[in-house]
Amino acid sequence: MSSVEVKSEVTGSVWKIGCRVGDTVTRDQELVILESMKMEIPVIAPQDGRIKELLVAEGDSIAEDQTIAVVEVG
Amino acid sequence: MDDRKTAQTGTQTSCEDRFEELARRRAWSLEMGGQEAIERHHDRGRLTIRERIDQLSDKGSFQEIGRLTGKAEYDEQGRVTHVQPAPYVMGVAEIDGRPVAVGGEDYTVRGGTSWSGLRRKGGQGGFIEDAAHEYRIPLVNLIDGSGGAVTSLESRGYTVFPGVDGFDRSVELMGEVPVVSAVMGTAAGGPAGRAILSHFSVMVRESSQIFAAGPPVVERALGEKLDREELGGSGIAVDTAGTIDNVADSEEDCFRQIRRFLGYMPSNVWELPPVWPTDDPVDRCEDALTSIIPEQRTRPYNMRRLLELVFDDGSLFEIQPTFGKTVITMLGRMNGQSVGIVANNPMVYGGAMDARGARKQTHFVELCDNFHIPLVFVVDIPGFLVGSGAEKAGTLRDGMRAVYAGLKADVPILTLVVRKCFGMAGMGTINKKSLEFKVAWPSGEWGSLPVEGGVKAAYRREIAAADDPAAKEAEIEERLRRLSSPFRSAEAFAVEEIIDPRETRPYIARFIDLARNRLKTCCGQKLKSGVRP
Repeated sequence: MSSVEVKSEVTGSVWKIGCRVGDTVTRDQELVILESMKMEIPVIAPQDGRIKELLVAEGDSIAEDQTIAVVEVG
Repeated sequence: MDDRKTAQTGTQTSCEDRFEELARRRAWSLEMGGQEAIERHHDRGRLTIRERIDQLSDKGSFQEIGRLTGKAEYDEQGRVTHVQPAPYVMGVAEIDGRPVAVGGEDYTVRGGTSWSGLRRKGGQGGFIEDAAHEYRIPLVNLIDGSGGAVTSLESRGYTVFPGVDGFDRSVELMGEVPVVSAVMGTAAGGPAGRAILSHFSVMVRESSQIFAAGPPVVERALGEKLDREELGGSGIAVDTAGTIDNVADSEEDCFRQIRRFLGYMPSNVWELPPVWPTDDPVDRCEDALTSIIPEQRTRPYNMRRLLELVFDDGSLFEIQPTFGKTVITMLGRMNGQSVGIVANNPMVYGGAMDARGARKQTHFVELCDNFHIPLVFVVDIPGFLVGSGAEKAGTLRDGMRAVYAGLKADVPILTLVVRKCFGMAGMGTINKKSLEFKVAWPSGEWGSLPVEGGVKAAYRREIAAADDPAAKEAEIEERLRRLSSPFRSAEAFAVEEIIDPRETRPYIARFIDLARNRLKTCCGQKLKSGVRP
């Protein structure tokens, strides 16, 4: 079992969270939606797995490359 | 009579000796650094330079040049006993039946370090560069060496001025023939610089690294303790810095990418790119294009999927997919013809151009302009990226450099606006000095800046004076948005055509075909393009 950090590619804020710790997720599933440049930017699961950690809350400011969640895979 | 016969025999024997010596010398060159060194190289998961050239080029097409160069040992009678080959293998070969010049360091011989022959075989200023220039054929550098060493100072007895093996030919080639650099091992110093002076560069994940100087030098200069991968692995060089364009998962993948890249290129700037047959119907209309843009303006979508639906099936090859991700740059084909595609990526900052994306776009536009590859801009750009991070990154400067490159390009440009096209960054997607041909989907919208971004500033007093400022702002926004219909622009011929998204492929193909007529008239080298800002 290994873990993959899911990072934000943009600076912005957390608009909606669509998963909880322990959820099983599939590749390309939207985990969190960020608001950046007036757009709703989805943060997606890179692989099938389970949400091990969720490191943001709605309304949080997010920096580029910040870890949003950790997904347990394999 | 007998004397004459003896003399003849003697001559024949001498010739045979020479042929035999030639054969022995050729055999030594094939031994490279010896079995032990080759095994060590293989154990690191790497191919030898000869295996690399064989895998890269068409079977049996490699014609080596300089097989006999090396460091020889002689016995007391002056007869050669062994030659350690020079640590560089090069020659001409074919890729998909088209000639290329190819060369690379032989790591099994002294780690591929510089060799002090009368004339360099490869690298900057080497014979292989001159051959690519002379025969007007692409150059492929398979780089696996760390350049010179300070030990040469002792053997020479004096220091040389930087540039003794200059980059002048390397720079000249950038305007003449396609140059590809593949970093196959660790590249530092001169070979690292040589890798950058290319039109396309690629490195192998976890097997190759590139940096100006390696970990020992960095630790001594800055106190940073990093291993080679942390300092210049693909995570830094490709994904973070964009120093190298693409990463390959293996050496085989690396050769596949090189072959792929060269397939879009002409052999030199005096020719047009090749046209490859395609089974993809030029009149293919995809219903999926009608729903690919979300109704909700704030939702992004998969631009790469959109491109796949439009261009020739399986023809897209992305350059720098993991760097500057606000912009997507791809080589592709339309009805068999090479095209360069610059598309905005709504999934990253809504497609707003950041400094890294701008750098990528600048290089790509110049690449296509240099090799007469028509450009298609697929536009959904809200403008330059804003904010303190963007300002610190120099977005305006890099962004305007991208605009500059677009306006300097002579190659035909077609602009397809699928959603937003705003501001100075939007200007960089249009060929202002020529036809200025802009086609849009009904979902298109454009202007100096998006309505929602400008209302609060432009109508500040009116909004402040209202009983309900928020309602007033929304009312003004709605009023302006109604005027933003693309059809109103089409009435004024401010956009040349609005098409049904399903018509995109046949529509673009028609004009790419026509562009070839113009391209035929402007082959050759580009004049110096002034000083880039």
